[in-house]
Amino acid sequence: MIAQTKKKKWTNYAFWFILPALLVYTAFVIVPTLSSVYLSFTSWDGISDNIRYIGLDNFIEIVKSPRVHNALKNTMIFAVSLVILENIVALALAILVDQVRWFRNLFRSIFYFPVLMSGIIMGFIWMIILNYNFGVMNQLLDMIGLGSLKTDWLGDPDFALISIILSTVWKAAGYYMIIYLAGLQGIPQELNEAASIDGANRWQQFRHITFPLLAGATTVCVMLSMIGSLKIFDQIAVMTDGGPGFATETLTYIIYKVGFGELRQGFGTALAIVLFLLTLLISLIQIKLLRKREVQM
Amino acid sequence: MKKEIKAIDVIVLIVTLFIAVIFAFPIFFNIMSAFKSNSEIMRDAIAFPKEFYLESFRYLLTETKYPEAMLNSAILTLCSIAVMILVIPMAAYAIERTNTRWTNGIFTYFLFGMMIPFQVYMIPLFKQLKMIGLFGTLWGPILIYIAGSVGFGVLLYTSFLKGVPREIEESAEIDGCTRTGIFWKIVFPLLGPVTASMVVLQGLGIWNDFLMPMMVLPAGQAKTMIVELFYYVGEFSSRWDMIFAGTTMSLVPVLIAFLSLQKYFVKGVSSGAIKG
Repeated sequence: MIAQTKKKKWTNYAFWFILPALLVYTAFVIVPTLSSVYLSFTSWDGISDNIRYIGLDNFIEIVKSPRVHNALKNTMIFAVSLVILENIVALALAILVDQVRWFRNLFRSIFYFPVLMSGIIMGFIWMIILNYNFGVMNQLLDMIGLGSLKTDWLGDPDFALISIILSTVWKAAGYYMIIYLAGLQGIPQELNEAASIDGANRWQQFRHITFPLLAGATTVCVMLSMIGSLKIFDQIAVMTDGGPGFATETLTYIIYKVGFGELRQGFGTALAIVLFLLTLLISLIQIKLLRKREVQM
Repeated sequence: MKKEIKAIDVIVLIVTLFIAVIFAFPIFFNIMSAFKSNSEIMRDAIAFPKEFYLESFRYLLTETKYPEAMLNSAILTLCSIAVMILVIPMAAYAIERTNTRWTNGIFTYFLFGMMIPFQVYMIPLFKQLKMIGLFGTLWGPILIYIAGSVGFGVLLYTSFLKGVPREIEESAEIDGCTRTGIFWKIVFPLLGPVTASMVVLQGLGIWNDFLMPMMVLPAGQAKTMIVELFYYVGEFSSRWDMIFAGTTMSLVPVLIAFLSLQKYFVKGVSSGAIKG
């Protein structure tokens, strides 16, 4: 009897403790997500009250539209190149910070600081640096006698995507560096010392000791950078607005353009559902891999 | 403990230094350009400022909506975090300590939110805010920020709470303390490290956020610093000095927060990373 009332008291307080978070979360995440699912089957323009059900037409258009295909292709290019480059740069930075004997904290802070910037500010700075007429990049090329390589980095469709990718690597690498650094510092010193006594050179030590022991950090970083690259938006908005033409338009950017620029919110939500399914797929793979890793540990 | 300095140490230092210069340059360039006039920036982007040019700051602070936008950014960041810290640890505590079927169900329901990117639900959100009359107020974005952080926050707090022993709470309960009292007086202070990570990570995210405040704060009135800057890039496309002054004003608080709370920034990253 006493145990029962005690248990009831626990549940009672739990209800009131959870309620505020539950209400806000339901009202401002779940309800609009469900509305998105509903709207994706309509041709709503976002303004009128007339919401017309059109079945799967939006999704059929997604399958057929060359512009959407292009955006998906760009999203994939972003994802693959960012995952590879961010992780290579981050690992290299982590190794340098781990090995350097002086000013270690200062270097770590310098590599990490771009992470703290808004994508808008980062995009603006790089936009100026890469400007054709007045930018630092072309000025530097002139100074070292490579003036013939001067390019309109953001205005040329061949270079715009690459420019955004490289500046995003600059911004994000420090984040993954911190994770790799934690991994590196968890590796016992004795292992490398023993290997070096056995005659292993530095590259062999890295290849056969350090890198395998960083497997956990690598999994986490690859997954996080994958999800992060799907969400890239701010720097595109500021640097190219999806252009030149559609050269830098990604899935998240096309949702915004279609929904608010072209007032086709029904179609925009259908694209949003595609983004959701893509993210869900990657998250599920992520959870599976992380579980597997936990077992190994 | 003093080791002799080897050649390799010097090489590593030089390489690291070289890369650090490349990494620091854009930020240095930004702050330096904020003190140059527009014609100076256009003439020679790399040169140091000739004089300490403050006109762009003056213009930004007196002739534009930037001061209001700064206030909005500060209010949004501080209020959202305050309510988050009020609401999320409590929910996490109740979920972790009761461990019944329905609280576990709610936990899964919260975690689901972590997989939904903002772009997925932003279009209906716009109309929804208009319907309930929050469009154009700062309450709209505050509620959206809180809602968006519930999944991650609850996960962070529950995993930390697993390591907090229950004995103190139980004896306090016997002494007749209420649940609310126990939570705020005994449990919450023990959650300090998680709260610090939460404040730092979410605060930074809100301060730097762009898409959501741009959408839900109406045109014609001051928005947030980042959104105003975005408009200035379009509007004053030939006044780079002004935009540099604006970005510098937005970066300085972040820089100060980072330098004084560095430990929590680094911890926040690793806690966020492990839990994914």
